[in-house]
Amino acid sequence: MTQILRTARPSRTSARSRRISGNRMGPLSTVLAWFYALLLAIPLYYLVTSALKTNIEIFTDPFALPTQWLWENFGEAWQSGSLGAGLANSVLISAVAVVLTLVLAIPAAYALARSEGKVAQAITSSFVAGFLIPPFAALIPTVVLAINLNLFYTREFQMLFLPASALPLSILLLTQFMKTIPHEIVESASMDGAGHFSILLRIFVPISLPGIVSVTILQVLGFWNEYLFSLTITGTGADVRTIQVALPTLISDSTNYGVLAAGTVIALVPVYIAYAALQRRMQDALTAGALKG
Amino acid sequence: MTATAPAPVKAKRRPPAILWLTTPSLAWYAFFTIGPLLGMFAIATLSWKGLIYPATFTGLDNFARVLTDPTFHDALRNSIVQVLIVIPIMMPLAFMLGYYLNTKPRGYRVLSVLFFTPGLISISIKGTMFYGVLSPNGGFNGLLEGIGLGGITTAWLANPATALGSIMAIDLWSGIGFTAVLFASRLSSVDTEVLEAADLDGAGTFRKMWRITYPIIKDYFGTLTMLQFLWTLFTSAALILILTKGGPGTSTTTLSFLVYQKAFSQQDLGYSQAVGVLLLLLGIIGMVLIRRILRSQA
Repeated sequence: MTQILRTARPSRTSARSRRISGNRMGPLSTVLAWFYALLLAIPLYYLVTSALKTNIEIFTDPFALPTQWLWENFGEAWQSGSLGAGLANSVLISAVAVVLTLVLAIPAAYALARSEGKVAQAITSSFVAGFLIPPFAALIPTVVLAINLNLFYTREFQMLFLPASALPLSILLLTQFMKTIPHEIVESASMDGAGHFSILLRIFVPISLPGIVSVTILQVLGFWNEYLFSLTITGTGADVRTIQVALPTLISDSTNYGVLAAGTVIALVPVYIAYAALQRRMQDALTAGALKG
Repeated sequence: MTATAPAPVKAKRRPPAILWLTTPSLAWYAFFTIGPLLGMFAIATLSWKGLIYPATFTGLDNFARVLTDPTFHDALRNSIVQVLIVIPIMMPLAFMLGYYLNTKPRGYRVLSVLFFTPGLISISIKGTMFYGVLSPNGGFNGLLEGIGLGGITTAWLANPATALGSIMAIDLWSGIGFTAVLFASRLSSVDTEVLEAADLDGAGTFRKMWRITYPIIKDYFGTLTMLQFLWTLFTSAALILILTKGGPGTSTTTLSFLVYQKAFSQQDLGYSQAVGVLLLLLGIIGMVLIRRILRSQA
């Protein structure tokens, strides 16, 4: 298999030697890669088919297609987990939190991109240090904080809290983007009498839009998938809990696996739709997120 | 778009005094992130039976209690086992898979979508999915019976011999592919000429992977190793909470789960936060060690 050595931009010159040395490893790595892909795909297949079966059929024929397509599993999961409310709460919390993140992060990134010197450096370092803080370590003090603010078991606290956890990464990524904006543009704009806010809104925001989109995707996905803080701070009340918290409540002593699987599929669908629509962007966003760290 | 951004041309004049624009975000960050972190250290010195009770200062008593508690020893051992098995398996496999993916083999689009999937799905989705897969009548046992290995089926999550292994398998299941995609994207910016020169010298694939490509992206490898280490160490609590609740016995009680359990089911906040402080310390030690190990091999 020649592919093992083919790089992103293959050049023609050494095609021959590539083919020769590639043959040794190629088939094996292809087999292993597809085997792992199968390992990833099987549970997903099992999940989706189980969503349409009865317990008995899941147990006796785990990998067969359903004999009777039990669409009512979805209805039951939707009802008993009140997943509709969960989805609505997740949308609300993620949307407010991401808007707040951007409102806080964009001006800060703008200021850091345009400043040099010790103070700017110190501010940047303090945000970098934020990466090292495991958010989970401070879960209990965060609960105490929520109680003292009278916001325990509310969605509002999550909306205020999540942006803080997202600020370090958002600010550093956006600063990187904004630093690439040429000084001359800014100079000439300020000659024309533009103030900071109009420079920010008319020049920096439009030029760094790709970065802003990446940060938005990255953080929305993070907010959407957040589980432990949502569970302990927002709580399990059916009117406030997010979809991620609602989902495991379908596990019970007499678990109906079909319903559980259907609920899981319902929780998966929004993220998959977003991924299908934004595949390239989403990968870029998550990759950028992991690059810093 | 990351480290390659050029620094702005040095301005002769004084930089504009616009740093005050960072104050709202600094305040937010201090209030919701730094504050609770300091709170963790403070609560670790308290005897506190739960959020509605009064707390009393006990100094380092909690640490003495934690360090002599057999449950803590189990949790420490489980966390160390988890990290020492998961990370050394995950990182090399993910790197090699990323290398393979970056060669754009046939079907690599399908592969990268599949590999990327675990990065998209939340812990509660993973949890509920594997609750079905690993249950006594679930898909995994069904698969084993289907291929004639019915003899080794078990209640994977309820058997103390397999519970922690199952959790680690899920870590690997989801971590390898996602990390591979991250590697592939980093590798796509590696200059191909180096590799072509190696080809002409007749270097084999393994040699090119580990002797030539790996040193080039070593820093990135280190960053991802540290991230995966922290994720494994700190975030295992959520998956364990959904799947095993630390049991059977203490077989899946990891340090991060112990922090959660002591605070929310056993109402011992001081103990919980003392474990939190130790966990934080362990995280820092681990990161320093990883850096040392990766640096010393070149």
